[in-house]
Formats: sequence, C-alpha cells, structure tokens
Amino acid sequence: MFRVPLLIAVSLFIAFGGGILTTLSALNASAGFGAIRLGVWSAFPDVQTAGADPYAKSHRAKAGRLLYGSAEGLTFTASTDESGQQLTGNCSYRIVGRTPTARLWTLYAANPDGRPLETRAELPFAQNSQGILRNRDGSFEITVSPTAKPMNWLALPDAGAFSLVLTLLDTPAAGSSGLIGLEMPKVESLGCGQ
Amino acid sequence: MNRLTYAVLTGLIGAALLHIIIILSLPHFTGRDAFTRVKMTGPSHRFITLPDLSDKQADAGGLANVDPFLKVAVCHFDLTLAPIRLLAPAGPGFWSMAVYDQDSNEVFSMNDRTSVGGDLDALVASPVQVAQIRKAPGAALTQSIIVEHRGTTGYIVLRTMVPAPSFATQAETFLDEAVCAPLSGD
Repeated sequence: MFRVPLLIAVSLFIAFGGGILTTLSALNASAGFGAIRLGVWSAFPDVQTAGADPYAKSHRAKAGRLLYGSAEGLTFTASTDESGQQLTGNCSYRIVGRTPTARLWTLYAANPDGRPLETRAELPFAQNSQGILRNRDGSFEITVSPTAKPMNWLALPDAGAFSLVLTLLDTPAAGSSGLIGLEMPKVESLGCGQ
Repeated sequence: MNRLTYAVLTGLIGAALLHIIIILSLPHFTGRDAFTRVKMTGPSHRFITLPDLSDKQADAGGLANVDPFLKVAVCHFDLTLAPIRLLAPAGPGFWSMAVYDQDSNEVFSMNDRTSVGGDLDALVASPVQVAQIRKAPGAALTQSIIVEHRGTTGYIVLRTMVPAPSFATQAETFLDEAVCAPLSGD
C-alpha cells in the first residue's frame, strides 16, 4: 500500500542527496578542468578568463579570490611530495631545482583554504626570488621544515596537512604555448618527526 | 524489484540533472564572489588598499593580501557616465594591473614591463566611449592604453611586490597615489 510513495521517496532522496553531494565534492576537489601538471605542481592558467569551464566558474564564484590575470602571474600548488605522499607539518622537505622563466616568484606554505600558514612573525614563513641564496648555475634549494635549517629555510608551523604555493609573476608560462618543456623544482621528503 | 531499480535509475538521472543545474547556476547566486567582496571593501571609483592577513581588521569573509609579498588595491567602477582613467607613477618595482568584469572574467591585464615608461596610464571604456575617444582624441590620452570593456561594471586589481619589509612604505605610497576616477572634461 505504501509501495508507490516509498519508491518516489527513494527516487527523490537519491536525486537530491546525490546531486548536492556530487556538486559539493566536485567543487571542493579541484578548481576545474584545464590544469597543467608539471611533476607535483599544478596550475590553472585559464581559470580567470571568460573561456573557463562551468566548474571553474562555480569554484571561483564560491571561493571569491582575486585571481591573477595572464600578464600578472600564474600560481602553482603542490600538495604531495615526489613519492605521492601528502605534505604534512611535522615532516621536512627540500624544494630543489629551478622555476620556469619568470621575473619574480614567491613561495609559501598554505592551509587547505589557500591562506598562508601562520608562524611566529619573525620566522621566514615565505620566500621570494630576490631573497634566497642560489647555486652558481641559478638553481636553488629551499628546506621546508618546522625546525630551523641553514641556507634557505621556509618555516612551518607544526600543523597538519598543507600545500606549497609557488606564484610566478610576469611569466610566459601563463600563456598557453610551450608549457610541456617547462621545468619545476622537485619536492623531496627529508623524513618526519625531527 | 523491477520497480525499485526503476526508482533508483530515475533518482540517478535526477541527481545528474540537479548537479548540472547547480554547477551552471551557482556563479549567479553565491553572494561571496570576488566582485561582491570587492564592492564590500568601500566606495567606488577609488583604489582601496587591502589589509594584510595578520591585521585583525581583515575579517574572515573579506578580501586581504593573501600573498605575503604582494600588496593589493582594488577599485570597482561603473562606466555608465564616463570612462575610468587609471593613473599611477612608476612603482618601486614590479606592479601589475588587471581589469575584471562583474562575473570576474579577465578583460585585460598588464604589468610594469608592458606599460609605457613604467607608469600606469590606462582608460577603461565601453565600446561606444572608445569610438567617441577615437573620433576626437584629447591631448591627455595620447599615451594611454585604452581598454574596451563590454559590460558597464567591474573591478580593477592593482598589485605591487614587496620583496623585503623595507619596500613596504614605497609600495603603500604607490597604491595610495594610484588614481581610479571617472574621466573628467568633455
């Protein structure tokens, strides 16, 4: 006797529950299609344009960030190391190599919302291309660690999962051509709990 | 049993339909997209320097300087009455500017290397206003970069780099002196 209302309830439940959950997970998972991936780094060069896909447009309307124009810069993020492990705040990492051609770049560790992790103000919680020490060939090595390290040190608060945000300013990488040949620095794990 | 499969299948099709509808309509009613947040920062037609994240006045929902080395100013505009003139003297180093429409699509972007002599001198105008300016260019606009903007409203983001704390004063002066005002005169 309640068979038909039950079936309708099942349909509606699946439709609304499934529709809302898949939408939320799709919007939280990624900033849309069209990512470029170079090693562990990924970037979305077209996300601020009118040609962005509907997922990217929804995502940016929900996040409400001021995005970089194509002549301004391009933001790369990495949330895993080279072995595919999630970056966490009680481990140390080494960022080694060089960036694609760019006039300047900035690097900081961010929480899942994309905001820089807070450390004590006097610690170097962010680095930029003008303030680091480099090797003779222009490559660099930055140690990301909760404890102080010699040479280039990016301080981490001892707090859970994080991602690395590398913003290239005034870079030809923001144009769509020739991205395959670009070289990004490697993120290597140096061990945990020290 | 057959009817249950039928009900589940209907539910799944409904879920897919709802997913598409939400994704396509979400940009129009989130209420916290970048343009709404820019409008919340203050009055139109002037550059408003954003607070740093560490400042307590940067509340949770508002805009702030997310990158520790970049200082940002925003200006939202309305082209109905007059085009918008953007002026700033040569900055301390890197600066960049981007014009967005009310849906946060990029209209135009540039940086100090693509400007004339390192100064910011641009004019944001609707297609009709661009045609009028081209017909009778004033002497003041010969060096300006003219940006054609199809909508009437939008916002401008001006960024400058602070590679070390000692550059902060210069960067603040640059952003404070930047002009985002309706074109006066004829």
